Amino acid sequence: MNTIVILSVTGIAAMMSDVFKLKKALFGLSLLGLLIALVFSVYDWGQYASYFNQMVLTDNYAVVFTTMLIGMTFLWFLMSKDFFSSHSSASEHYALILFSLTGGVMMTNFSDLTILFLGLEILSISLYILAGSDKGNLFSNEASLKYFMIGSFATGFLLFGIALIYGATSSFNLQEISTYVQQHNGSLPAYFYAGILMILTGLTFKVSAVPFHFWAPDVYDGSPTLVTTYMLSVVKMAAFAALYRLFINCFAPVYEFWIPVFAIMSAVTMLLGNITAVYQKSLKRMLAYSSIAHAGYMLMALASPGIASKNALVFYLLAYAIATLGVFNVLYQVHKVTGREEIKSVKGLFRKNPFAAIMLTLCMLSMAGIPPVAGFFGKYYMFVSTLNGGLTWLVLIAVLSSLIGVYFYFKVIIAAFQEPELENTAYYRQPSDFTVLYICGILSLLLGIMPQFVAGLL
Amino acid sequence: MIQYAFYILSALSVASALMTVFTRKPVYSVLYLIFFFFTLFGHYILLNAQFLAAVHLIVYAGAIMVLFLFIIMMLNLNKEIEPNKSVVAKFAAVISGGLLMIVVISAMKGVDNIALNHRSDIGLVETLGNVLYNKYMLPFEMVSVLFLTAIVGAVMLGKKEIK
Repeated sequence: MNTIVILSVTGIAAMMSDVFKLKKALFGLSLLGLLIALVFSVYDWGQYASYFNQMVLTDNYAVVFTTMLIGMTFLWFLMSKDFFSSHSSASEHYALILFSLTGGVMMTNFSDLTILFLGLEILSISLYILAGSDKGNLFSNEASLKYFMIGSFATGFLLFGIALIYGATSSFNLQEISTYVQQHNGSLPAYFYAGILMILTGLTFKVSAVPFHFWAPDVYDGSPTLVTTYMLSVVKMAAFAALYRLFINCFAPVYEFWIPVFAIMSAVTMLLGNITAVYQKSLKRMLAYSSIAHAGYMLMALASPGIASKNALVFYLLAYAIATLGVFNVLYQVHKVTGREEIKSVKGLFRKNPFAAIMLTLCMLSMAGIPPVAGFFGKYYMFVSTLNGGLTWLVLIAVLSSLIGVYFYFKVIIAAFQEPELENTAYYRQPSDFTVLYICGILSLLLGIMPQFVAGLL
Repeated sequence: MIQYAFYILSALSVASALMTVFTRKPVYSVLYLIFFFFTLFGHYILLNAQFLAAVHLIVYAGAIMVLFLFIIMMLNLNKEIEPNKSVVAKFAAVISGGLLMIVVISAMKGVDNIALNHRSDIGLVETLGNVLYNKYMLPFEMVSVLFLTAIVGAVMLGKKEIK
């Protein structure tokens, strides 16, 4: 709860900073706000407290996800100084990012469907705008409009689902709904199940699961690279946290109804995401499709609910977000220097900056799920919990699609170690350009060597 | 007394709603629609729903319909440019309209048997304020962040980029 207040206040302060001529201090101010929020978030660990008539519930699940969200945003801030310096509307950018983070934190702490809806809307609306923040770029405009149209459509589904659930259980509160569902299991009206499906549709839209993924490649590709990074690392985390929290806390008694839906969705998502990613020439678009595939793996957690899958989801999201931040740091620098985003424009990275190339390799291995790094353990825990849930066929499909994934992730690694093709491959103007890549690469490695630090948190 | 008021209001609502559809000029159509919203305002008042009535008037009749009117005026649509529909289209429209009417009538059948057991003061501003500032305090406050986001975004997208 404290984090929500701190983050909103930081956002409002950023918004007002234009008036007080504090633009220069804004970057430090935002980082400070994030740090304070991080401290308060960690401080909540182990305290099971609900606030404002059970609107918000800060349990350990919420603390873990809130901390990860804020931490990822912090890393994102470190690599995105340019995003704020090159615009005439810097304070608006800060405010929007901080507000969207507030929305994300609300989505991980909610204990009432109204808060879930509000959090989702705050998050989405800031992102619709941020996606179009490169105003002169037609692709950015397209991304913004597409995201807005389809996102509002999905929100409509979510809202209708919430209304139906309210109609069936006469409550917005997660605990009350869950108690009602337990007591009336078997005699629930048909529109209750329709409500579950509608909420499922609305939220899987946001995590870009097949068949609701059509917006994702265009939006991720068209948005400014740094905004895409934010979407893939922070927003995906928040959406999955909300989805899992809602279904585990609320609809667990009727799990036979929704588990098959998630299982099939997960299988189709990872197959389609991985297969389409193979054909991409642009690195950014390839990462967009690979993010769809990763959403498929994460949905496996919902196909086998339980403590094991909860931990697996946390680990997977963390590993994926870290790897994404690292890879996108490279992509952003490459784009800044060469103006291109193809896979082959990474060529020559090893020659110019060997350490960066090695770190990029670590992040890519993490995405592909190769042993010494974090991504492997993410996949491993996820597969084990799904196997224990009895869905062997799903794990088989997941392993198969990971093998497809290895192919296109290695294309990038190979390109990084090849001789440069273009003349202007001076990817780094300052050594600090790759700071986040280094942090992410080392974090991936550390998590891969010592996964037990995060794996058994919940 | 209230019954007569209800009948008069209902007659006006139906008449203005029909005129919205039947009139040929878009501007008249919008004006009739505004009139229709005013009659709905009366209905809300009769149901003792003050807040809903006020919001209805401000949002629909006030903001949205004025926007409609402006757009129609700006597009200069006040000419009879509506092309004649073919017989098939008219036929299809009548059938689908009739089907909708059957659905509505069958849905309304038996509705008067349901006892209304809500409190009569549920639509008052006071009741709403009590709920909003007690139970739904946090959502009410967080909506302000949502609005701020929207405002900031509108400003950002609308602002001229300083080179």
